This record gives sequence, structure tokens and C-alpha cells, in this order.
Amino acid sequence: MHHILIVEDSPTMRSLVVSALEELGAPVRITEAASGFEALRELPREAYDLIVTDINMPDINGLELVSFVKSNAAYRAIPLLIISTEGSERDRLKGLELGADAYLVKPFEPEVLRRTARDLLAKAQEE
Amino acid sequence: MAARRTRSPARSKATREFVSEVEEILERLRADLADLADQRAGGELEPELANRLFRSAHSLKGLAGMFGFEGMSGLAHHLEDILDGLRMGRLAASAPALDLLEPAVELVASLLERAGSAKAQAGAAEEVARLVERIEAALHAGPAAARVAAPEIDERLLRALTEYEEHRLRESLRRGRWIHLVEASFEILSFEEGLADLTGAAREIGEVISTLPAPGEVPEAQIRFSLLVASDADAQALSTLLDHPTASIRCVHRGASDAPSERLEHSTHAAESAQRGAAERSASARAAGPQPDASESDPEDASVSPALDEPAREPSGELDSLKSISETVRVDIRKLDELMNLVGELVIQRGAIAAIAAQLLAEPASARFGRELGKLHKTLDRKLQELQAGVLEVRMVPLRQVFEKLSRVVRRLRRDSGKDVRLEIRGGDTELDKLIVEELADPLMHVVRNAFDHALEPPAERIAAGKPAEGTIRLEALQRGNHVVIQVADDGRGIDVDAVRSRAVACGLVAPDALLTRKETLDLIFQPGLSTSSEVTETSGRGVGMDVVRENVTALGGLVYLDSTRGAGTTISLTLPITLAIIQALTVGVADQRFAIPLTAVLETLLVGPEAIQRSEGREFLNLRGDALALRRLHAEFGLPAPAADARQAVVVVGLGDARAGLLVDRLEGQQDAVIKPILGPVRSVPGIAGATELGDRGTVLVLDVAALIEDAARRREAA
Amino acid sequence: MSTHAGGAERARQLASAGWQDLARSAARREADAAEAEAQRELLVLWLDGDPYALPVERVREIVRIRAITPVPRVPEAVRGVISLRGEIVQVIDLRRRLRLPPPDAGAGARRARIIVLNSDDGQLTGLLVDRVSEVLRIAEGGLRPPAARESDTVAALAAYGERFVSLFDVERLLDLDG
Repeated sequence: MHHILIVEDSPTMRSLVVSALEELGAPVRITEAASGFEALRELPREAYDLIVTDINMPDINGLELVSFVKSNAAYRAIPLLIISTEGSERDRLKGLELGADAYLVKPFEPEVLRRTARDLLAKAQEE
Repeated sequence: MAARRTRSPARSKATREFVSEVEEILERLRADLADLADQRAGGELEPELANRLFRSAHSLKGLAGMFGFEGMSGLAHHLEDILDGLRMGRLAASAPALDLLEPAVELVASLLERAGSAKAQAGAAEEVARLVERIEAALHAGPAAARVAAPEIDERLLRALTEYEEHRLRESLRRGRWIHLVEASFEILSFEEGLADLTGAAREIGEVISTLPAPGEVPEAQIRFSLLVASDADAQALSTLLDHPTASIRCVHRGASDAPSERLEHSTHAAESAQRGAAERSASARAAGPQPDASESDPEDASVSPALDEPAREPSGELDSLKSISETVRVDIRKLDELMNLVGELVIQRGAIAAIAAQLLAEPASARFGRELGKLHKTLDRKLQELQAGVLEVRMVPLRQVFEKLSRVVRRLRRDSGKDVRLEIRGGDTELDKLIVEELADPLMHVVRNAFDHALEPPAERIAAGKPAEGTIRLEALQRGNHVVIQVADDGRGIDVDAVRSRAVACGLVAPDALLTRKETLDLIFQPGLSTSSEVTETSGRGVGMDVVRENVTALGGLVYLDSTRGAGTTISLTLPITLAIIQALTVGVADQRFAIPLTAVLETLLVGPEAIQRSEGREFLNLRGDALALRRLHAEFGLPAPAADARQAVVVVGLGDARAGLLVDRLEGQQDAVIKPILGPVRSVPGIAGATELGDRGTVLVLDVAALIEDAARRREAA
Repeated sequence: MSTHAGGAERARQLASAGWQDLARSAARREADAAEAEAQRELLVLWLDGDPYALPVERVREIVRIRAITPVPRVPEAVRGVISLRGEIVQVIDLRRRLRLPPPDAGAGARRARIIVLNSDDGQLTGLLVDRVSEVLRIAEGGLRPPAARESDTVAALAAYGERFVSLFDVERLLDLDG
């Protein structure tokens, strides 16, 4: 059973990502966070196997969340996928520099999201 | 209900969510663009506004892209370009490209409306391409903003900053501000409130550029936040102001000006306001600055704070102007309603206390307590009135927002129809209860649309009539005592009174030989089913009639009148009470029931015997100091048993605007505060009843709709 | 500023097709799951000795009968209004609504209740009934169409012991013009 945390403030986007990942091909349990703050509250509650986050959010933006996750010994090992809207290359690169494991640019196909998620989960299990 | 097209349920849910979210984003954009327009006029742009606008366009682009809406996504992309230019300082507030924001947003809205049909979307492609061209041209046209040499910044700081935050940091450095890192720890379960307090306090004297979370000392239970704050104040002043028990402040860049920490008078005041939000704070601040209580002492006392041996300087205006960044607060109207309800209930309790005080006073044994309670009650009353006035004030908003919406509507109508029409607006500053203003938007829109479609003639006809080709619609608001009058006047065809009358006869609303004054005939326009134009044009939508407008306005406790001159134009006047919330009410008795009448509408009350009532043409009148006052018997109105034929009755003279009527009741009972509540249930409106209120031990009492009763008195003939 | 290249456009159109397929299969799964477990809960009430029912989701609360303030110029079925924790709510006398005779005065009157219904738009309505007895759980498939003469306000019939209970169509019930 994979536990996935999705951090995204747009409800429609969240819906799409949840429905795509529900058909991952393996049993999943998905937790949704509508903001960086909610994500900060959710993280200590469960052992997550994957975090998927947007960058463009109010209050704590995606980069700040990535920085927090990757600088925290408890969460550092969790694979982290950034989904962001096209534009602002620099922010995406920063995300990778801060330690994100992969990024996808919207719009993307559900299968691409699933493939990336499967790869990240598989890699984490090997380590 | 219109027939439903069958579509796969799956598509519907996702598409519905998409449409709903895009509509929300569009609303946000519109509201923020209105703020932008205001700020551009004022010259000072709030940086957060530009960023917010950018983020909305950015979200829109991503969302539209995910659902395959090319046109919308492309348009949003260009909106984003303009807004990125604005927030990153590449575009000045005066840049012409910003003028294209509004049309772009409306074009997106139009694309959304056509979302169901690929063909309709394709039809808009040309319009989209044209607007995109104009935007690209405008962005290339302007002079490149002067590039200021970026000062050196520590790499570590930049690591987790987005491009925009970097830009804000450079801006602050350019302005010679101090940059501080404010760090504080919070419990994971409750950090939001504490963080909001800290951020709010920091915002009062500076800009919070970035908020970075970091693991706390006990990572499972705590979380640490580092705020990157730019300010004109140095670390000491900042620490005094923030006064958080575990906050540490580290200066990472010295500012150009030595912020005088002698400005302790201002600081104490700001410190108090920062403390107001705090749940619990200890007075000890770890920072090296002066303790808060030391601020009272002589600033030149060297033993307390060696840093303060500089002579006190005249405070510059800058520190004060920084506060203006967060002076306005957005309030949810529901919260205002809750507040209003609470105040209303407090007011009722206060009334109960007064009653008890009076009872205590009456008994010699408890008279002393009665007196003391009475004194306390007086103070309570005064404070409550202040509170009430304060809450009411918060609810008041200027009509300008509605008027601006109407301007946009007229502009679109103008574009779509080719009619040349000018909209004049006066009195946008006039204020009304926020709830009323929100409810007014629809009826006003109908009235304006009607004027545009039906009242204003095409240019050729106007010129032939000796009028200028350009038609004018004048929208004006004025305050008259407890009411606000809004007028929509056009200089169009005017209403053909004879046509109205013959149409009314044809519809059976009026007997063929009925005697009607000109005013009464015009008033027939508000009857459902009557319309002097059989066209239902696309622009006016469903061809909504004036009966709906009157219903909406009456529901708000207001009146609608119409006056018109054939060939010259029509004026529609709406009279509205300033606020709906707590009212003083006069309670009256009719048969064995009680009713409440809002005191603002009551002009006077009198007792009369049956001989004072005169009859004429089936109506009843009272001679009130020479004027004929139309009467309405409330027991007849409500189907209640009539009093004895020789009984003395009370007449409550009510008025709204210029209209007057006398309500005949059996008893006058008293006067008290009441909160009018709507009557919930399947019967949407009860004629003559505006709502109900609870009067302590008297139970639920119905509140009369004075406006409706006055109109009835003026129009109806009593059944013999 | 970037422009959309032709190839990228085609890829994007495919993107939405992919999401559409996904959405469709997700909805199908949801519908199947819903059907498998569909059960409904009905509140059973009594009028003039006969049982009727209301969908439990529409019921906000049930209160004892209390002072009803009459309201003039309303349809006959509306007895008046009651105050419910600060909100003023109309009360419909269901016997009148269904044109049943008025109840006998007597001990049974103490069991009269007002059922408060809610709706999406925040409207509340009270229904005055003789008594309320229980919540019935039935499978979606256990509902059958109403007898012809009752179909004005009744949506369906449900098995209730050896009888049938008439499930109200709430919208039609509250439509007092009919």
C-alpha cells in the first residue's frame, strides 16, 4: 500500500491528480493538502511514500515546502515530485537544486504522471 | 426547466469542477483588477496585488491547459506575461499594456461560456488572436525599465526564494532597507495562528519577503519558521515590536538609514497593537534591544540602553506610511451578519436587564440594587450603541463597486449593439449596507439593460427628434436621511402612457372605463405580464420585467417608482433603507396578534375615533392637518376580526421617501430593538410582511413591510 | 515569451483525451460501487393512521410542537412560523396539505412533532405531523412506483412490514401552488 501526499491549492487540479494516481496499478492511499500549511500538518501523521506538490501556492509555496522536506532528516528520503505550470524555468530548477526528485510540467497526460510516480516509488524501495 | 442534454456523467463532474474553479479565478481577477485600477489612479502600487494577479493568471493557464482549452490557456499565458512584467518591476503602473488586462479577462470569461461547444470556441479564435497581437505589441513597445545594479546578496538566502521573492529582496535592498531573518518556533498542531500573528506584526513595519519552514528542535511536535523581513527599522526596534517569547532576530543586511530606535513612542503603540492579536505572550524578549517597559523611561538614560545616546530625531513619515500597506481588511459578509446578530441579541438582553432594574427599583427592599443596576445599564447601553454603530459602519460600502460593474455592462452592450450611449455616474461614494448593495446589483442591471435596449432610440431616430446621436444614461445616488435614493435616468423615447393603458386593458389588469391618473398608469408597468415591447432581444437576456425588479427592491424594504415624459426620457427611482440589520420597532396589536413596524418608517402615531375617518371613492382617509392621509385597516389587510364599530383605534402614520400612509391598528404596545430575520420556508414572500423578530418573552412577532403597505394604500381600492 | 509549437499543440489535445478516458472509467467505477451498496434511510411518520416517509438526508431535526405564530395571507396548509434557535421557519400542516381531516383532540396530540427539513439553498421548512416512529433502511431496488391517485406528492412506495409506506417527493410536497 503506497501512501501519497498531494499538495495543490487548485481543487480541480487536485481532483485530476487524485483520479490519475488511484489507477496507479498498485493499492494506494492518497491524502490531499490544499496548502503548504496543511502539508506541514499532514507530514508527521503518516509515513508517506511519495509527495506530489505544486509550486504556485499562497503562503508557503512549493519551493519552501521542498526545502523543508529535504532539510528534515525524517522526510528527506521521501521521493518528491513537483508539478508546475509552464513558465518560470528558474523556479523549477531551484526545486531540483533543493532536492526534488523529478518535475512535470502542466499540462501532462495521466499516464505520464503515473509512470513517473511508479518510477519514483520503485527507486525508493530499492534504496 | 430546460431539457437536459444527455452527456457522459464522467465528463460532467470534472468539467463542472473546472468551470466552477475558473469562475472563481475570474472573480478574483476582476476584483483585483478593480483594486489595480484604483491604485494606478493613486500612483502607489501594492506589490502583493501584482503578485496575486500573476498567480491567478498562472493558475488559470495551467488549468485551461490540462483541459485542452487552447485559446483560454494561450490568453492566460499572455495575461501572465503582462502581470509578470508588472510584479517584477519591468512594467510601470502607467504602462498601456495594463489596459489590456480587463478585456483579456472578459474574453476568457466569454470563452468559458462557450466551453461546451468546440465550434463556438473556434469562432472566438480570431478575437483571441487579435487581442494577443495587441498585447505582444504593447509589451514590446514600452521603454525597457531602467536596470539597477543588483547589490550583493548572500547565496544561502537566495536558495529557497522564488524568482518573484528574489525580485522583492532586490527591491528592498535598492531602497536601502534593513533585511532581517526572524525565526520562531511553534507547536505543529497550532502553528498557523501563531505564525499569522508574527507575520502580521512584521507586516506592520515592513515587508515579509519569504516564509521558510524548518524542522524544530523536537521535529515531531515543533516547527520553526524563518521570516525574511525587509524594514526601515533596525533589529532592536523590530524586536521591541514583535515581542515574541522565542523569536530571534538576526540582521543579515544593514540598511542605508539608521532607523532611530528613539521613536519609542510610536513603537510602544505599535507594540500594543501587535500584542492585541497574541494569545499569550511573555513580556521577555530574548533580543538585545530595550525591554518594552523601558520605553517609558527617559530615552537618554544611558544606563538602560547604551544604543540610545543619540539625540531623538524627528520621526520621518516613512515608518507611518509602511503601516498603510495593510490598512484594509477583507471581511466575509457572513461574519458581519454573525456579528450583527450577536449585537442584536446583546441589545435584547440589555432590554431585559433594564426591565429587571426597573422592578428592583420599585421595591423598597431592593431599590438600592435597582439604582446601581440602572446606572450600569446606562453605561452598557451607551457602549452597545457605540458597538452597534461600529459594526454597522463596517457593513457600509460605497455604491461605487456596483456602479463600476454597471459601467462594464454598458460598455459591453455598447460594443455588441453599436448604439452610442454614454453612462454618467454620480454619487458613487454614497454608502449602503453591504448586503443591500450586493442584492441591488441584479435589479439595477435589469433596469440599466432595459433602458439601453428599449428606452434609447437608434441614432437616426434621435437626430430626427432633435436629440444628440449619443444617448445618455445617468446613474445617480443620493442620501436622504435614513434612506438612499438611486436614480437611473435615460434621455430616450419615454413611455407611451396610452400604450401602457391599452395594453393593461387588453391584459385584463384594468377595467376599460377605469379612471387612472398618469402616475397610476405608469405604475402598471410593474405588474407582471405587462410589457410595452414584445421584443426579447438577446442583449436583455430573458426580457426580465419590472415586476421582478420591484419584487427584489421590496424584499430589501425599499420602493421603486417610475416617471416618464414621452419623447424626453424615463427616470426610475429606487428608495432604499440604509441598513437592514438592527432596527427599533414599534409593536402594535391587531385583534389578538402583534406586529412590529420599523421605527424609521414611523412618522407619528395618533388615537382616533371612528368619526375621524372619511370615505371617498371606496377609500378611507384621515384629515391630517389639512392633508388627506390614505388609510389601511390592518385587520382587513390580514383577515383578522374587526374591532367594535365604535372602538377608538390607533393610526400609525408611516412614510418612505415622499410616500405616506396611515395604518389602522387596535393598540399601540411599545417600542424596542429588534433584529429582523427572514422567514424561511417554501412560501417565498408574504405580502405585507418583511420578516419576523423575536421579542424576548413576547415570542415571535411578524414585522410589517411598510413599503408594500404604502404602495397598496396608494394604489388599491378597498373592496366595498 | 514562448509560443506554442504545432507539435506541442497536438500533444496537448491528446492530453485532454487521456484525461477524458480516465474520467469516464473513474465515473463508471463509482457508479458500479454506488449501485452495489445503495441503501436508503427513510424517516417514518404518521398522518391520520397511515405511514409516510421522508428521506433522512433532508431531515435536519425533529422538535416537539410549540407555539406557532400565524401568518396572514399564506396558503391554507401553512400554519404559521416557529422560532428555531433564532431562525424563523414556516410550518406546513401535512394533514391540511394532503387534505386529510383535522386530528382528534386527545392524548395522541402530545406525540405531534414538527420535522424540520433543510435544502441546498439554506431554506428550512417545518412539517407538522401526528407522530414520528422510526428510521427504515431499505435497498434502492426495494422502491416501487406509487399508486396513481397518490402520485401528486408521493415519489415511491416502500415495503414496511405487511404494508407500504409512501415516500414523499419533497419538492412536490413543498410546492404549495399545486
